[in-house]
Amino acid sequence: MPQQIKRLIVAFAFFILLFLVLRQVLKPSSFGDLGHYRADAIQENIDSELHYAGIDNCSKCHEDIHMDKAIGFHANLNCEVCHGPGMKHVLYAGNFTDRQLPDSLLLYKPVGRSDCAVCHQVNAARIKILFDTIDNSMIRQIDAMTHNPVNKRTNEKLNCIDCHNPHQP
Amino acid sequence: MKIDKTKLSRRDFFKAGTIIVGGIAVSSTFIPFDGLLFAIERPKGKGKWYGIGIDINKCIGCGKCAKACKIENNVLDEPFYFRSWVEQYTIKMDGSILVESPNGGIDGFKQSVPDEEIFKSFFVPKMCNHCAKSPCVQVCPVGATFETPEGIVLVDETYCIGCRYCVQACPYGCRYIDPGKGTVDKCTLCIHRLDKGMQPACFEICPTEARIFGDLNDPKSKVNEFLKNHTCMVIKPHLNTDSKLFYNALSSEVR
Amino acid sequence: MEQHIQNLYEVLSQVEGFVYPNEIELNWSILIVLYPFITGLVAGAFILASLERIFKVRILKPTYGIALLTALSFMLVATMPLISHLGKPFRAYEIMITPHLSSAMAIFGFVYLWYLMVVLLLEIWFDYRRDMILWANESKGVKRFLYRALSLWTTDISPKAIALDNKIGYIVTVIGVPSAFLLHGYVGFIFGSIKANPWWSTVLMPIIFLFSAIVSGIALVMLIYIIVSKVRKVKLNMACLDMIAMYLFYILLIDFVLEGLDQIHRIYEAEESFEVLHKLVFGKLFFTLFIMQGLLGTIVPLITLGIFQFYKPKENIRKVIYLIVPVLILIGVFFMRWNVVIGGQLFSKSFYGYTSFKIGLIGPEGYLMAAFWLIVPLLILAFLLWLLPPWKKKDEQSEIQSA
Repeated sequence: MPQQIKRLIVAFAFFILLFLVLRQVLKPSSFGDLGHYRADAIQENIDSELHYAGIDNCSKCHEDIHMDKAIGFHANLNCEVCHGPGMKHVLYAGNFTDRQLPDSLLLYKPVGRSDCAVCHQVNAARIKILFDTIDNSMIRQIDAMTHNPVNKRTNEKLNCIDCHNPHQP
Repeated sequence: MKIDKTKLSRRDFFKAGTIIVGGIAVSSTFIPFDGLLFAIERPKGKGKWYGIGIDINKCIGCGKCAKACKIENNVLDEPFYFRSWVEQYTIKMDGSILVESPNGGIDGFKQSVPDEEIFKSFFVPKMCNHCAKSPCVQVCPVGATFETPEGIVLVDETYCIGCRYCVQACPYGCRYIDPGKGTVDKCTLCIHRLDKGMQPACFEICPTEARIFGDLNDPKSKVNEFLKNHTCMVIKPHLNTDSKLFYNALSSEVR
Repeated sequence: MEQHIQNLYEVLSQVEGFVYPNEIELNWSILIVLYPFITGLVAGAFILASLERIFKVRILKPTYGIALLTALSFMLVATMPLISHLGKPFRAYEIMITPHLSSAMAIFGFVYLWYLMVVLLLEIWFDYRRDMILWANESKGVKRFLYRALSLWTTDISPKAIALDNKIGYIVTVIGVPSAFLLHGYVGFIFGSIKANPWWSTVLMPIIFLFSAIVSGIALVMLIYIIVSKVRKVKLNMACLDMIAMYLFYILLIDFVLEGLDQIHRIYEAEESFEVLHKLVFGKLFFTLFIMQGLLGTIVPLITLGIFQFYKPKENIRKVIYLIVPVLILIGVFFMRWNVVIGGQLFSKSFYGYTSFKIGLIGPEGYLMAAFWLIVPLLILAFLLWLLPPWKKKDEQSEIQSA
């Protein structure tokens, strides 16, 4: 075999071998177990932290409110829709009495008009069929600016929850 | 064929060896062409195979889903990064189409068009379609994004190189690059919640139960019931991504 | 990251119509414009070299060596814009370790390696092996060692060995032409295969990329040949330049026709995306598409070179024009890449609106970084021309005999 071919083959063989070795060394351990990816990545995705606890966790301690809510228009609403994520509260609030509860474990209390307006502000896109019965067929819509802004007798500004019980609107 | 080891001559050995090595060599030249076949066949999981249903008629555009998604998955606060968002479509009397999604709908929507000019208006919640023939999975050069055996499209953020090819390939705009991590990020269908028997955050939080998910392989699942009882459609069906996010009452304007 | 977010808020205020919220950020910036541009220069320069070697256009001989070295020096940095734009550049090796076969980008890694290692390096090696051995004997110290190492310490320069070199070199070039087509066709495929993007998704994309690549590569070699000759103070070979200009004209014509065909097809079919693309072309892309790419980069060179095919003005005028036209063509092809890469991301995949493009001077995706990756190959080329000067090769006759 001519000299230059021999040298080239040696050089190429060296690089190809190096590549194959590197490939073996660098290929992640669970790669290819389930498909062309690292199978461990599924578990890593699963290991993320939870923030929303779900309504079942709320009703364990707040049975009374849960019962209140069960007969109103908001029966199907998860508590966290209005009160925000509650996983931390569920996990750690049990360690404290109501008075001692640190701010970081308190959930959001929606009291302003804008909180209700998120769902109930009138909007042409929002006229929706929700339930089968005619009575409850639409989500109640008001204009948050003009819907009884003040108490007519005392002239005090009114919030939605001054007249409506949010758990039983 | 039974090989008599005692009679195996050197010649036979070379013959067999040549056939085996040659066969491997020849077949290996075809392997790259496997890549061409990605979007041809419709894959279907043998066990669970998740599908999603969204009822546009029920969506009231509160944006709680988009907000819950950001909180649950620690998505960046800035209005350029969404795993889940809501769009408000308003079709005017003159036929023009107005689409809005301020901050992904997290802060709620205002109707900017006066009622008398509106032909129709509706909200469309958007999220990853978890396509069975995902264009994003198809183009990932390293296998850092993939479909799990349950049909959820996930990202391996320890392996993603941040080339952004998948962002270009997604027809639905469901991917973004997390500037802090330098890797891609997307909806995981809250696989960490599914694993604990809970619903994904956006499903959990939806006040009108406009979102439904379930096992497409189980004929009695909620999602199959939804598909049976409604006239469902996927977005951009012509792209043949085999999207597993089905919308009820999807208007033709939605893209 | 702060600056990045601030930029995005600025872009947000410039969004027209509706874009998906994740689309406000333009993901592929100037570095990805450079990547097909540089790869194209490689393919084009190589095609010019092979015209001489395979198709025996002897008149192009003065540019053969320059073309090969130009191809090599640009090839060496071709992937750098791509790698430096990655979110995680140090994970780039994964493309080679676990290539996903259905991804055009993953296969590109292998196409690139094939082209670099098997085609370019081999052809240059066989072409220069004898000269490197001879030069090694004439030089001292580091340079001597460099030549010896580059020739892999071979010593055989018998006529038989040289004949073999030439024969293999020829075979490599023959393999090289389809490989060059593959290389740049593949870059086109990276864009053309994205079905989500109607501006990219066309079967013609690889072919358009290929022809514009050949055009740009030839233009670059033409320019470098003129500059190198000026620096070396040797006379320009006008017959050679006229011939290159002729090839440039015909290939530019094909490129123009193909791109025109693509647009005509798009207009005639007028699919769902037509309206949004129409407004894009006459709005945000007007300057780069019609002025830079169309008028300056295509029409003016086409007319100038076209006239030359019938009427040749005086040599001095031709010399000046042969300096200007390649520059125009290079600008035109650069903006062709720009219009594809940036243009394809300016409109929303919802077809309801447009985002805008903002680029800074500094930063990992700024103009300076882009300029850097354009200058580096020129420095490499200068080094290669110093190390392996094609004009100092001895006895050119033996090469010509071989093929």
